[in-house]
Amino acid sequence: MKIFENLPHIDFMKYKAVALSVSWGIIVLCILAAQPWKGANSNIKLGMQFTGGIDMQVRFNGDVQQDAVRAALVRGGLSDAGVVAYTSKKAGFKEYSIKIKAKKGQDSKDSTAQLNKIRDILRGLDATAANDQRPDLNTEPVGALADNWVKTNPLQVTGDETALRIAYDPIVKKVSVTREQFAPMTSFDQLPKDLPQVLANQIKSTYRLGNLSILKNESFSPSISGEWTQKTLTAVGYALIAILVYVMFRFTLSFAIGGIVALVHDILMAVGIFTLFGFEYSVPVVASFLILIGYSMADTIVVFDRIRENSHKPEYRRSSITQLVNDSINQTLSRTILTSLSVLFVAVCLFGWGGPALRDLSFPLVIGVITGTYSSIYIASPVVVYLEKWFPRHDNLKQKHA
Amino acid sequence: MTKRSFWRLAATLLICGICAFFFIPTSKIRLGLDLQGGVHFELEVQSHEAVEADLRDTADRLQDRLKEKGLGSASVRVDGLSLRIEGVSAEQKPILEKALGFFGNYNATYDAQGARIVPSASYQQLLKEDAGKRALMIIEKRVNQFGVAEPEITQSGADGSRIVVELPGVSEAERERIKNLLSTPGRLEQRLKSKLDSSGYKGFPTREAALAFFNGQVPPNTELLPEMESERDLRRAGKDVAVKQKAEEKVKGWHLVETKVYVDGGDITDAHRAVNQTTDASEINFTLNRKGADDFATLTGIASEEGRLISIVLDRKVVSNLSCKEKIPGGSVRVSGSFSKEDADDFALKLKSGAMRASMKFLEEKSMGPSLGADSIKSGVFAALLGFGVIIVFMVFYYRWSGLNAVAALTVNLIVMLGLMGSFNAVITLPGIAGFALTLGMAVDANILIFERIREELKAGKSVPSAIQAGFDKVFWTIVDSHVTQLFAAMLLFIFGTGPVKGFAVTLTVGVVASLFTSIYISRFIYDWILERHPGTKTLSV
Repeated sequence: MKIFENLPHIDFMKYKAVALSVSWGIIVLCILAAQPWKGANSNIKLGMQFTGGIDMQVRFNGDVQQDAVRAALVRGGLSDAGVVAYTSKKAGFKEYSIKIKAKKGQDSKDSTAQLNKIRDILRGLDATAANDQRPDLNTEPVGALADNWVKTNPLQVTGDETALRIAYDPIVKKVSVTREQFAPMTSFDQLPKDLPQVLANQIKSTYRLGNLSILKNESFSPSISGEWTQKTLTAVGYALIAILVYVMFRFTLSFAIGGIVALVHDILMAVGIFTLFGFEYSVPVVASFLILIGYSMADTIVVFDRIRENSHKPEYRRSSITQLVNDSINQTLSRTILTSLSVLFVAVCLFGWGGPALRDLSFPLVIGVITGTYSSIYIASPVVVYLEKWFPRHDNLKQKHA
Repeated sequence: MTKRSFWRLAATLLICGICAFFFIPTSKIRLGLDLQGGVHFELEVQSHEAVEADLRDTADRLQDRLKEKGLGSASVRVDGLSLRIEGVSAEQKPILEKALGFFGNYNATYDAQGARIVPSASYQQLLKEDAGKRALMIIEKRVNQFGVAEPEITQSGADGSRIVVELPGVSEAERERIKNLLSTPGRLEQRLKSKLDSSGYKGFPTREAALAFFNGQVPPNTELLPEMESERDLRRAGKDVAVKQKAEEKVKGWHLVETKVYVDGGDITDAHRAVNQTTDASEINFTLNRKGADDFATLTGIASEEGRLISIVLDRKVVSNLSCKEKIPGGSVRVSGSFSKEDADDFALKLKSGAMRASMKFLEEKSMGPSLGADSIKSGVFAALLGFGVIIVFMVFYYRWSGLNAVAALTVNLIVMLGLMGSFNAVITLPGIAGFALTLGMAVDANILIFERIREELKAGKSVPSAIQAGFDKVFWTIVDSHVTQLFAAMLLFIFGTGPVKGFAVTLTVGVVASLFTSIYISRFIYDWILERHPGTKTLSV
């Protein structure tokens, strides 16, 4: 099977000016839409790792509406909390992500206080809590459970406090593991089967089962938030320099510049569209942008390699650079498309079926692989053509042999 | 099969075998916190506080020394990151200079009123690193007490001021308790062993024996504390220290100790091993701040007069019992005994680790439940497998038999990747799973480039063997170049990232390296083998 039965003869370079202006135009539009100059109020959504703050994911047993969660948080004085609904894998449960940006100068004591406050607010969303004063087993600290048993000693263990702790700690651990698995437990029948009957009975009489489970709870100090931004930019900078030097060493300067321009184009395009669609930047997402840098360049190199190879051939000795580039692109067109397709397949699978975290991570790759293919043809190559035309150094291409 | 093919097959199988060894059984693969659930803390040791604390202690010591030298009128105060000495007349200046000569870690500048001393840059660095080390040690100890399986505690940052603590399998409900546990300073206390306890250094073998000795009642104002078998004891018994686990820690003896604390760990400013100039034996020197020095004098006074032992208690466990012959004033203490070099180092560390010299700030706290991780694994692995499947179908559909060659190469790639990751003891994270699938998608690119080239050469009229030859040769540098650029990105990712991102970077790096090997070596080998079996073939399914 083949994409092109015969070698295509498309005059790519004819439209280079149009292509260059259209694609940079899109980038400018994306930047205008993102409004990065507005600082914190821009349309760029930054994750808590970059801004500092709390990022929680909670699951409710039963029908707790998003508005109810938001209203409860506002009532509790957390009006700036962002609440987003996730689709829960388990039927009958509701999942939400709750994000609260940190205030400037907030320290770890404040964040602990804030976390406890959020937990209390969310616990208050339990309808059964009003007529049942017993503590909730699903959110009860493990320490409290252990303390309770050590104090009451339902198993009649002999010995001092140390001995009691040794006896009860493994059982507490077992209960804790079970409730994390069910997250939250919905019935006391879910308690471990090998739990001594006395303890199971005691749990049933002293605890109720709340409807809340905290699946994920992350809190980032604002003092290191700037650090991530800086780290990211440094890494991107180093990556660009390393690639520029390598391509210069293996090809020529015009290729290196062409490659970097294409790379910057791909990053900006992916960043722009990612922002436009309202995705949130997290550290793994930034990592996927870095991968994109490597991949986009690899794609461009396939075209570059063919241009270099052709430039040594006698039939291209007298032809123009436009002709050379055009033919090279046509000759490699099928493989440029195929190699991109293989990665695109994976990226699309991850985007569609990989769950929320991988969805964010693979989106830049979906965009980037498409624009990467296009940019190898329409950004990198025209730049090489222009550079070779403007700065004609004879044998420029022919000096370097692979 | 020719000899050459045989050896190539043997080499391939050997590599696969070795790689498989590193990840089979699959229980060897470690899952990251984002997949198995657990608690993650990133702490920053406020190491500047250690420098400030040292300045305060030095101010006390300097004041005392000046008083000794007859400069009672001089005042010493902390002024920013320096000490200001005032009230010294011109003729007293030589005495001051001489006194300051004992503070070698400080740079002094003199003026008409007195002097100003500043801790040297290297000394400040030392203090900061020391604060980081102490904090790390305390955290390790606390975490071990907590009894978490496979905790990961790592130090990073310029002067080791960042500490990352990862506790797999610990739930959100315990987070706050651990946070408290980690941030409270250690409690090292110097107390007196009770007069009633005649068990000496050895102590009572069991708690019951001790209780029996005291007629079943712990006397008032005292308590029974255990002494653990230390690394030092193990070393003496000729056992391997490294294998000692928390669970194996044994109680060596029980001591009846007075509840009154004389000297607190916070008063110890420094402790290190020293060598006695005359006997050449190892000793431990420790320095106390002014309050500690006074208290220590009282403690040693009582102990020497009444012939009692001093118990060093760390977090409610007896670390060591010491005897002393006379009252020791001045706060600079030298402990001699039959210490080996390691013993002395251990002991000095214990004395130091009792107190954190600097507080800790929580930069990041994360807790993830295992149920979320289980969901992530399920969907992540499904998506990755789906992607892998699509590639296989695509390659076979598009390149027919050659596509199967690519699939074989890809499978070897997968095995090599898993093996390399296993040998690095790498942790699999959610982005890592994505990285796996993406890397396979990128790895197959090398095969596509080769196959397209072979098609091109065949079309140009070359015979099958020479088309294969040309295909591999001409594409070789393209593949190398494109892999190198990807490697740059992957390596930078490794430098940039922590935690899950690092896992991603490791996968990618490993995958890129593995792909170079499989696409060029394995695919070529398969072609050669087929050509060998069907010599003179005119067609190639590509």
